[in-house]
Amino acid sequence: MENIYKPDLMEVLAVRQQTSDVKSVRIRFKDEEKARKFNFRVGQFGIYSLFGYGESTFNICSSSNWKDYIEFCFRKTGKVTEGLWQISEGDTIGFRGPYGNSYPTEAWEGKNLVFISGGIAMPPVRCAIWYVLENRAKYGNITIVYGARTVGDLVFQDELDKWAEYPNVRVVRTVDPGGETPDWKGEIGFVPTIVEKAQIPAENSVALVIGPPIMIKFTLPVLDKMGIAAKDIYTSLENRMKCGVGKCGRCNCGPVYVCKEGPVFTLEQLNKLPMDY
Amino acid sequence: MDKWLEQERPVAAPVRLQDNRVMYQPLTASSQIVSDGFVHAENSIKEFFFPRTEKLYNYKFVGQDVELQDVTVEDAPRMVLFARPCDAASLPILDHVFNWDYKDEFYNRRRRATTVVTLACTEHDTHCFCTSVGLTPDSEQGSDVLLLPLGDGNFEVRMLTEKGKELFRDLVQTSDKTAQIPEGPAKKFDVDEVLQFLEENFDSPFWEEQTLRCLGCAACAYNCPTCHCFDIVDEGNACGGCRVKNWDACQFSMFSLHASGHNPRSIQAQRQRQRIQHKFRIYHEKFGTYLCTGCGNCGRNCPVSLGVLNVVEAIHRRTVKASEKD
Repeated sequence: MENIYKPDLMEVLAVRQQTSDVKSVRIRFKDEEKARKFNFRVGQFGIYSLFGYGESTFNICSSSNWKDYIEFCFRKTGKVTEGLWQISEGDTIGFRGPYGNSYPTEAWEGKNLVFISGGIAMPPVRCAIWYVLENRAKYGNITIVYGARTVGDLVFQDELDKWAEYPNVRVVRTVDPGGETPDWKGEIGFVPTIVEKAQIPAENSVALVIGPPIMIKFTLPVLDKMGIAAKDIYTSLENRMKCGVGKCGRCNCGPVYVCKEGPVFTLEQLNKLPMDY
Repeated sequence: MDKWLEQERPVAAPVRLQDNRVMYQPLTASSQIVSDGFVHAENSIKEFFFPRTEKLYNYKFVGQDVELQDVTVEDAPRMVLFARPCDAASLPILDHVFNWDYKDEFYNRRRRATTVVTLACTEHDTHCFCTSVGLTPDSEQGSDVLLLPLGDGNFEVRMLTEKGKELFRDLVQTSDKTAQIPEGPAKKFDVDEVLQFLEENFDSPFWEEQTLRCLGCAACAYNCPTCHCFDIVDEGNACGGCRVKNWDACQFSMFSLHASGHNPRSIQAQRQRQRIQHKFRIYHEKFGTYLCTGCGNCGRNCPVSLGVLNVVEAIHRRTVKASEKD
C-alpha cells in the first residue's frame, strides 16, 4: 500500500553547531538508489522526523547542485527540535519531500540579486546563494544583507566570508544595537536601516527577503523606496504544517495552501492574500 | 445484514446508546439498528473512512538504525447502513481532499471497500439546512444505494453503483410504487451571498461580535462529516512505537501556532473565521463545491449554539441590513 506519510530513512553524516541554539545537519538517503535519484529545487522544504519525537518542517538549505547529501538547519525551540539537538553522526532520522514550490532561479537570470535575511532565516536564503554562485555567470551583481540580534546569533558565518570572495558579491553583516562584540567589524543596526544605508542599486534587481515578520514588515517599504517592484520581491512563508501535502488543513493563508502553492511568494501575491500568516 | 455480520464483515449503523443518544457505531447484532425516531446521529460516518486515530506505520530502534514497518488497511468489504444523505454526500467532498495530487491510500482503501446504504430523511429539525447548500433529503451523492421509505415498512430502492447493485441483487422486488419525495427544510440562506461576504470581510469586527461566545471545544469539527484536519504525532517508548494521524481542529489555539511563538490565528474569532472561510470559500475555490452538507451537526452539538448555520444566518442578517441602508 502506497503511504504518502512514510518518510525515507536518512543517515546523519554530520552535525554542526552554528550558534548557542542552532545546529545544521547533513543527511543522506540510506537507500542508494533514492540517494542517486533524489532531486529538488532550491526553496523547497522537507518534513524531517525524529522517531519518538515527531515531525518538523524545515527548508532544504543545501544547494540543489550538491548531489551527495542534503542539509537542514534548526533552532532548538520545541519537542522535536529538542530531540534533534541530541542527534549525532551515524544516527537515523526520517525525511519526506521535497515539497512546495521553489525560487524561480531561471527567471532571475540576467538580474542583479539582493538577498536579505535575519537570524535563523539564513538557511532558506543560503541554498539560493550557493545555487546562484555555482551558476555565477548567469546572474548580475549580488548583494547579501544578513543581520542577527548578536554576533553569536549569525549562522553560517564562515560561508559569509567565502561568498564575499566571489566576483561582484557584496556581503553586508549587521547585528542589532548592543549585539556587537569589541572586535565586530560589521554594521550595527536593524536590517531595514542597514538595507537603506547600503545604497544597493535597484535597477534590474530582484530581492529575496526572509526573516521574522517584524523584519519583513519594515524592510518592504525600504525596497519599495529603492524602486524594486512588488513582483520582484520574494519571500518564503513558514506557516505551521503537519502533512506537507495539502490535507491536514492548517498552513493555509486564506485560499492558498502554503505547503503546495507556497512557500515562495512574491510580495505582489502576498498583497492579494488575507493577513493569515 | 445478518449474513454480513456472520461473515464478520464490519457493518456500521445508527445505534441508540443507553443514555438515549443515537450514534453511528460498528454493529454486533442487527437488532441494534435504529432507523427512525431521530433526525441525525450525534457523530458522522466520516470515522469509518477517516478514523479518529490511525496508525501510519511502526518504527523500531535497532542501535543507531531505525526500522519502519508498514501497516495495511484491510480492504475486505464493509458497509455503512442507514447513513443520512447529508453524511453520504460528505464522501465525494472528502475524496477531493485526500486525492488532490498526493493520494491518501488509508482513506481510499476504506472508501473502495465500503458500501454506503443511505436512508432518505423524512424528518428534519431547526439545525438542518441541506437545501441551502444544494442538497435535498433524498440526495444521492456518495451513496451506493438510496432507500426511500414507502410508508408501509417497505422501501423504494435506488441502486446507484455497482457496489450497490451487488449488495441488493437478490433483495429487491419489482414494483410500480414510488416513494414520495420527502420535503426538506426551507432554504435558509444563499451561499453566493455568503461567499461574497467572506471575500469582502476578512478583517471585519463581525467575527468577534458573532463568535465571542465560542469555547473552542471543536465539537463542531469532530461531529462534522466534512471537517478533515488532522495532526501527526509519535506514540512510543525507548524501543519503538508508531506514528499516528489524529483528528485535529482549527478551533484549537495551538493548531496554527508557529515555533517562533507567532500565531496567525491567535484569537478564537480568527479561528471561527477560518472554519467558515474554509467551508464556503477556500474549499469552493479549490474544488468548486462547499465543505458543508448542511447536516446541522455543528449546531446540534455546540454548547453555545454557534454552528455554521448561526454564523451564516448572522451574515445574511447583516447583508440584508446593509442593502436596506443603501
